[in-house]
Amino acid sequence: MQKTALLLVLLFLSLCELNAQISDFDHINFKKADSIALSLKGENLTNLPELSYKLTSNLKTDAERFRAIYRWVCDNIANDYTLYLRNSRQRQRFKKDSLKLTAWNTKFRTKLFNRLLKRKQTICTGYAYLVKTLADFANIDCKIVQGYGRVSTTNIETLDLPNHSWNAVNLNNKWYLCDPTWASGIPSPKTNKFIFQYNDGFFLANPKLFAVNHFPVDKQWWLLYGSDIPSFETFLSSPILYGNAYKKLELHNAPQQMHHNIKPLEKVIFKYQLKDNTKTQNIKLGFDNGFSTWKNQPTSISINDKSLEVEHQFTQTGFYDVHLYIDDDLISTYTVEVKK
Amino acid sequence: MKTQTATQNKAFKTFGFALVLMMTLFSFNTTFAQTKEATQERTIKGLVSNEDGPLPGANITLDGTRVGAVTDDDGKFTFPKKLKTGDVLVFSYLGYETQKVSITDKTSFITLELTPDMVEMIGAVDTNKPYKSKRKKN
Repeated sequence: MQKTALLLVLLFLSLCELNAQISDFDHINFKKADSIALSLKGENLTNLPELSYKLTSNLKTDAERFRAIYRWVCDNIANDYTLYLRNSRQRQRFKKDSLKLTAWNTKFRTKLFNRLLKRKQTICTGYAYLVKTLADFANIDCKIVQGYGRVSTTNIETLDLPNHSWNAVNLNNKWYLCDPTWASGIPSPKTNKFIFQYNDGFFLANPKLFAVNHFPVDKQWWLLYGSDIPSFETFLSSPILYGNAYKKLELHNAPQQMHHNIKPLEKVIFKYQLKDNTKTQNIKLGFDNGFSTWKNQPTSISINDKSLEVEHQFTQTGFYDVHLYIDDDLISTYTVEVKK
Repeated sequence: MKTQTATQNKAFKTFGFALVLMMTLFSFNTTFAQTKEATQERTIKGLVSNEDGPLPGANITLDGTRVGAVTDDDGKFTFPKKLKTGDVLVFSYLGYETQKVSITDKTSFITLELTPDMVEMIGAVDTNKPYKSKRKKN
């Protein structure tokens, strides 16, 4: 009996180790789900059971049904940047006073749900909450994952309070990750006003790529095991990934550190697994040494069966922000200090 | 003697038959009674509230269907479809825990308070702005 149980656990673990991601659903075309979501654009949130029904009733598989829900939320809910700023300020203010923090959370929660209901604007948890609620009505097992999200504008070395929420969803007895907030759009670089810009890369993303800038508070939502799970320190010192990375990359393999100390003429090596092959001339590095910025071809580039390897030799001393671009899309950032 | 036994036997048989018949009928009768009670469809009304009092705009849906009602300004509702014992109503409102209520033989008016979903609200905004190291100003 014990042996059987052990075997079952082992079997379960081995199944979990397979990376749960979108490629599991290569045989499914999400066009129908997407077009249903599109046809319901502008629906309001006053009747969620009805909305969930309309989104899912004409679709056969749970993957498609979940896709319609997710896509609808991404296309219809705006990220409220001012609410986000206000919340992070207050959370920082009360972080050492748990009573005040709880009181603020309660007050803010009510405000946030009202804003979501009336204006369809929210912040991360609102997105994750809505996806989960609509999925619940469609009998799809979906969870809200609370944790830390790392982007270029957060104070990346000192993330001390959880600041981000996303979803885990169970499809065909396997868990998958997605991030409806970051998939919905980004603030305009000029006005900071939210712009809808659906990014498909965050749907059932590869957990290993996801782990570069998503750190769940509850360990089970890594969907990774053993040494694949980073410590919080490792997470904070990881390179910065942008939304486009999820469109272009399957994996970010190296370097695992954001910062590098090297001597003149030494090289930094970058390794990635691409989603689609691209030409070497589409790979560029951007540099910022504090005085000027420029884009250049790296010292060497090789692309072999979607495996991209980039090497760059630094000749001049200095402190560089180094950005990787693929097809002119900003993918990731590293810092390199070149010192004699 | 023989005839007597035969008559007795006949009487017993008749009695036995009657007994079985009655039992069958009774059992049918009870089945009928139960079914009748369970299928007796009736109009269900109710009142939904939250921590602040009556809650307008709450959704009530018959589980597994799209038939539903919405509470009025006083938090009251009348379910549009007649319901029977065993039906399940799903009560929901954005930001509150969804609750399921099974209709029992005695249900006619449902009073329900929805409790807030105590989820902590947080949010980080993704951006395409390139990271810029903080540098000492010379």
